[in-house]
Amino acid sequence: MAQQFAQQQHRNEEPQSQGQQESQKTDKVQDQEDALDAVLDDISSTLETDAETYVSSFVQKGGE
Amino acid sequence: MPQLRDSSNQGPGNRTSRSPEYDSFHRIFGIETEYGVSVTGANQPCDPGQVAMMMFAPILSRSRSTNTYLENGSRLYLDVGSHPEYATAEARDPSAALTHDLAGEAIMRRLALGAQERLRKTHGEHAAIHLFKDNVDSAGHAFGCHENYLVRRYVSLPIIKAQLLPFLVTRQLFTGAGRVSENGFEITQRAAFLDEGVSSSTTRFRPMVNTRDEPHADPDEFRRLHVIIGDSNRSQWATKMKLATTHLVLCAIEDAAKRGIASGFECCALSDPSASNKAMSTDLSCSKPVMEVEDIDAFRAKQQEFGLKPSASGDEAHPQADTVTALEIQYLYFAIVSSFVESHHDGIKQSLPNTDCMDILNEWKTALDALSTKDFAALSNRVDWVAKYQLLGKIKERNPWLSPVQARQIDMNYHDIVNGSIYPSLVGHGLMETLVSDDAVEHAVENPPEDTRAALRGRFVHQALNSGATFTCDWTHLKTTAPIRHEVELIDPFAFEPDVDYQQLMESL
Repeated sequence: MAQQFAQQQHRNEEPQSQGQQESQKTDKVQDQEDALDAVLDDISSTLETDAETYVSSFVQKGGE
Repeated sequence: MPQLRDSSNQGPGNRTSRSPEYDSFHRIFGIETEYGVSVTGANQPCDPGQVAMMMFAPILSRSRSTNTYLENGSRLYLDVGSHPEYATAEARDPSAALTHDLAGEAIMRRLALGAQERLRKTHGEHAAIHLFKDNVDSAGHAFGCHENYLVRRYVSLPIIKAQLLPFLVTRQLFTGAGRVSENGFEITQRAAFLDEGVSSSTTRFRPMVNTRDEPHADPDEFRRLHVIIGDSNRSQWATKMKLATTHLVLCAIEDAAKRGIASGFECCALSDPSASNKAMSTDLSCSKPVMEVEDIDAFRAKQQEFGLKPSASGDEAHPQADTVTALEIQYLYFAIVSSFVESHHDGIKQSLPNTDCMDILNEWKTALDALSTKDFAALSNRVDWVAKYQLLGKIKERNPWLSPVQARQIDMNYHDIVNGSIYPSLVGHGLMETLVSDDAVEHAVENPPEDTRAALRGRFVHQALNSGATFTCDWTHLKTTAPIRHEVELIDPFAFEPDVDYQQLMESL
């Protein structure tokens, strides 16, 4: 059963050559890098705020 | 830590029939999430207690209490330490529980934005309320995200400790929310704050599984397993997977307990669950043999039985031959559960109305394989700790001078459901998978799950509010005190069809 799952690449259903898979993987890594850059641009203002105050403001008694 | 009506261990005694779900794999799921509160940008001091009260002002005016049940069947309240808390209505499926947890987020966000608008009138236009769906504040005070599973009564607490705890500790490889701590980055939010395996405390000492016996169901048939060890997740995949995989493990444990046979999980019992928990949380390689099992020979034999290879035994820091990696334990649980699902497929399938158990097994296996090949990037769109760690790495590339306090700010921002920018940006750029549509969340804000007791409670709350009746309720009772006194008990969480008592109560409204 375990082997059966190993063979089902759930997000990648078409059989592909290893070369195709490698190049897709490289593309995917590049896409991920580009998207991460975009996230960093989005949150640049967050990094400019006063981190010390932001962090130290969050002090609350424990719960549960 | 809600103090609810006592559901004692004494059964009604005069019943001979069992509920239809008792002899099946059906389960009730629930998630209780505590939120942390802070304010920045205010021109005068404002403590979390004040903010929490401002958030709950609309609830107080509606219910004359900060502890109430909503029309979607959930419970909304202010817990100890001024933590706003949301307990989802009873759900029959992990997907439904996830949707209702997200509805809780949406409700909390609205309450906070309302409070922020009012706060700005008195504390300046830059006052911002932060509501953290995480588990630790900046001074090391912890708060929780507790999972509830209805479990057949014949599963004893020693079985839970020996056979479930190793799973709960090691599942954090893919459910951990990640945390920037004083000592660097950790996989889990909570490992540093949990000191016991299984006990009845929640605040003084924190166990991983709480034994308080409040089944909110027939106590002859069920106990409510109260799991404390989990992190609050932003990743929807992680919330669903922690419930779904735990369900499958519990099915195998229940079946073995019922038949009086071995489940196969016995060999995973940990010598010191708390030490193992802390050790796995700080091993970002996920490959060190940091877990000490009670019976290594039995563990190795079971691995062999399922064709699993032991990982290289020990390194300089962990030379003992009786330690294993968290991944080895997870692979063994996966192998046993896969085999169990194969032989009980129809029953398991029926127990999950909205989730395909084969999909869960595939997702689980894919996650373990990615961890074992150290392909962390493959998990960054659904495992919180990996997403957060990857982002921190990228930020450090661009800003090598990033200070520890800035790293902590980024950690907190990820969990801020009101003014946080990181999580929405990750989702917006396709770097974080979502499973539930905004429409489905919106529906769950107003409506209870239709296939549990919550449907009856939700309709009662809705009608009582509309009619202006004075009412109270808890998980198992609905009560009006004016204009007439009437009380109904709903002991079966699976029952969603109105009985005669319920119909009379509703007609009286």
